[in-house]
Amino acid sequence: MRRVLREPLLHFLLLGAVIFVAYGLVSKRTSGEPGTIVITRGQVASMVEGFTRAWHRPPTRGELQGLVQERVRDEVYSREAMALGLDKDDTVIRRRLRQKMEFVSDDIAIQTEPSDADLTAYLEAHPDSFRVEQRFTFRQVYLNPERHGENLVPDAERLLARLNRADDEDDASALGDSFLLEHQFAEVPASEVAKQFGEPFAARLGGLAPGRWWGPVESGYGVHLVFVSHRTEGRLPMLAEVRDAVRREWDNERRLKANERFYQELLRRYTVTIEAAEPAAANTIAANEGQ
Amino acid sequence: MILALVCCTLASGAWAADAGNHEGATKENVANVARPQFSPYAGRSYPTRVFFGDTHLHTAISVDAGTMCRIGQEDAFRFARGEEIATTYGLRAKLSRPLDFLVISDHAEMYGLMPQLLSGDPEILATETGRKWYGELTSGDQDKIFATAMEIVVSLSGDEPPIKSDQAVRSAWEAYTALADKYNEPGRFTAIIGFEWTAIGGFNLHRNVLFRGDSSVANRTVPFSQFDSKNPEDLWKHLDAFETKTGGQVLAIPHNGNLSNGRMFTVETFGGKPLTKGLATMRARFEPLVETTQIKGDSEAHPFLSPNDEFADYEKWDKSNLNGTEAKKPGMLQYEYTRAALKNGLLLERTLGVNPFKFGMVGSTDAHTAMTAGEEDNFFGKHSGVEPGPHRWEHVVIEAPDPKFTIKGWQQAAAGYAGVWATENTREAIFDAMMRKETYATTGPRMVVRFFGGWDFTAADAQSRLPAGVGYAKGVPMGGDLRKAPGGKAPTFLVAAMKDSYSGNLDRIQIVKGWLDKDDKTHEQVYDVAWSGDRKPGADGKLPPVGNTVDVAKATWTNTIGSPELSTTWTDPDFDAKQPAFYYARVIEIPTPRWTAYEAQRFGITMSADVPMTTQERAYTSPIWYSPGT
Repeated sequence: MRRVLREPLLHFLLLGAVIFVAYGLVSKRTSGEPGTIVITRGQVASMVEGFTRAWHRPPTRGELQGLVQERVRDEVYSREAMALGLDKDDTVIRRRLRQKMEFVSDDIAIQTEPSDADLTAYLEAHPDSFRVEQRFTFRQVYLNPERHGENLVPDAERLLARLNRADDEDDASALGDSFLLEHQFAEVPASEVAKQFGEPFAARLGGLAPGRWWGPVESGYGVHLVFVSHRTEGRLPMLAEVRDAVRREWDNERRLKANERFYQELLRRYTVTIEAAEPAAANTIAANEGQ
Repeated sequence: MILALVCCTLASGAWAADAGNHEGATKENVANVARPQFSPYAGRSYPTRVFFGDTHLHTAISVDAGTMCRIGQEDAFRFARGEEIATTYGLRAKLSRPLDFLVISDHAEMYGLMPQLLSGDPEILATETGRKWYGELTSGDQDKIFATAMEIVVSLSGDEPPIKSDQAVRSAWEAYTALADKYNEPGRFTAIIGFEWTAIGGFNLHRNVLFRGDSSVANRTVPFSQFDSKNPEDLWKHLDAFETKTGGQVLAIPHNGNLSNGRMFTVETFGGKPLTKGLATMRARFEPLVETTQIKGDSEAHPFLSPNDEFADYEKWDKSNLNGTEAKKPGMLQYEYTRAALKNGLLLERTLGVNPFKFGMVGSTDAHTAMTAGEEDNFFGKHSGVEPGPHRWEHVVIEAPDPKFTIKGWQQAAAGYAGVWATENTREAIFDAMMRKETYATTGPRMVVRFFGGWDFTAADAQSRLPAGVGYAKGVPMGGDLRKAPGGKAPTFLVAAMKDSYSGNLDRIQIVKGWLDKDDKTHEQVYDVAWSGDRKPGADGKLPPVGNTVDVAKATWTNTIGSPELSTTWTDPDFDAKQPAFYYARVIEIPTPRWTAYEAQRFGITMSADVPMTTQERAYTSPIWYSPGT
């Protein structure tokens, strides 16, 4: 029993239990019938207040709509699961019951295998998720700002000129300051460049004409002089090249769509009324829209 | 005769290359690099990239996390791969950059129970307790629901599982391994299959078990749980039997020595007898790594054990065991912290012939939110009861019977990750790098750290444009061994570190040395070996602090102090060739805002004075060991 008292979940659920009992004693519930869901003015106001307290600004119309719709969704699921018209304040329990219902619809979803036509259609509809990335073959020379201080830019420009004059391929690796990342990169995808040097550096790389040294190009480490010898453009792959990835994303989307369809089915059984917000709250939201 | 010799040489060369692949880069098989070729990049077989990941994450599949968190294993993989997901509370969350690998290591105990229970899985409902819990959880009776949730969480640490359905565990495990295979993309993202053996809840002897192979290997077993045994020695026996039966490979990573109240690095057997060579060998074989830093505190060093180490007092959870049922006594500390364990390992090697504590270092999160979020400005907490919100800093994370042992939200560390020097981003290469301990722990940032030991490094080597090439050619990397000092020589170390471009500059690199003298006493010394700026050690031998640019109110800092990159060659000035020793590098950043400062700034709150607002993030490499014998 003592261990039970130690669990943090206790705090949620006890608080929920207390509020539930108190609410039951104090209020007259209006949404008792199974087929009707009403989100009251008071509930909407308390969502606005809760959001404002946390984020130091009132929600936008879109955000509030999202909060209200989430509340409706929770309500539908928990009623369906429990077949009781309870108006619970315990968010955690409500969410758990919703997850249970989602699992049920997940099971229904995992019945059919996609055909090649299904997957190709998905691939064509979501090209950016599967695009074969731009790849770079490049060399870079690094200048450590701490070593050069105020002379960083002139030193970089001087080194750039020297690199563009040099004939010998090997010289570059002996110039600049020591650096733990590689000097030479072969056919590296843009995302890998971004992982190692940062997004801005990777973005710059795309704009450098191959065949000569450019710079200084900034990264989180300092500045670099860069020679792109080859750029392989990105392209849309054939299904056969990315079938596993397309299948995975297709499955994920189907799971989400099946959940949504299932929810909409359930929702059809209810009449949902959302009481209009108080004028003051409406003003707060409207004022926020401009942000 | 000559033909036979040639054949033998060729065969042994081929075998060495294979062993090389398993053991990774060795001094022998990269020696060819040193020979000049036109292209300096040809013929390299050593790792040229470090990969970052989390070796310890829980999702709603874990019985305890599942009472609070809604996110499953699929979204956990997607989040680690850099995608945006919705949290349990409807916030949108995304990492600053994708990770390279992830081990989802849900608790073995009643693996997969919560989702199955709540969805009315027939296997679960076939059991009496399953029916009872299902009825209670869907009864609508608040008291019943709450009591049942508590009963479920507490039963994790019991002697018998309240619901014993082998079929249910197996189906959840197989669903997981199939999912891991689905999200495993060699070269882009590695999903390592794993689970957590959660023995002796309150005294934290937990281990994460990682598989080298795919689902076809992992499905030949089910997670070994604390209901099977609470004794780590039985875990090792089980892993040994698994390897023998299937040919697969596994390793185990213990964590939170700091919460084990002296039990993690004990010099006795589980039954309290003196440690044996056999058990020491098993431990050394199956536990090549220790998770040294995570949300529940940092276990590298403690100020009581290392009073001269001004960086030892970092993210310490040192008042009690995990659930606050037993106070901590100072005598326990040396059996909890990794630096002390490394030292004790040297002595055990002398007495037993094997060092059971010859481990490398990793960091991880142990988050129970399904989000591997270890960044200071993107921290989602230990479990879903303490996800972002204005009061989570003061909310209870772990409640203890005695309030002074209760852990509050602000005490959580936004840590950490594992850096692995692997030849490529695949399950096999990362696992093999872990086996040879070519890894380091970070408290969250992704700094790049190289550490090599050898007899012939020179100052010029630290300025080399290809430090790795020199490092592997003339020495061994982190995790390696040096033996039998050549006459009159002291070990030299080549160490280099580069900041995480998203994080603070570097303050300094240190090398921590531990050694054993002839009277069986262990010692330690921390050396500052490279640092930013032109600071000089003071009269007390200590390097002055680097400064502090953190604006706590705004939760910002500037990289106007420190250096983006440091490197040096260092020779041990106090070397005695007869003394076994280890050396590891510790890299320290300049002060940056701690997650609590971001929290205070975002929610406009003031926290109590005892809450730290700045942090100096760090990395700990695996050690390089020196032994006087062969």
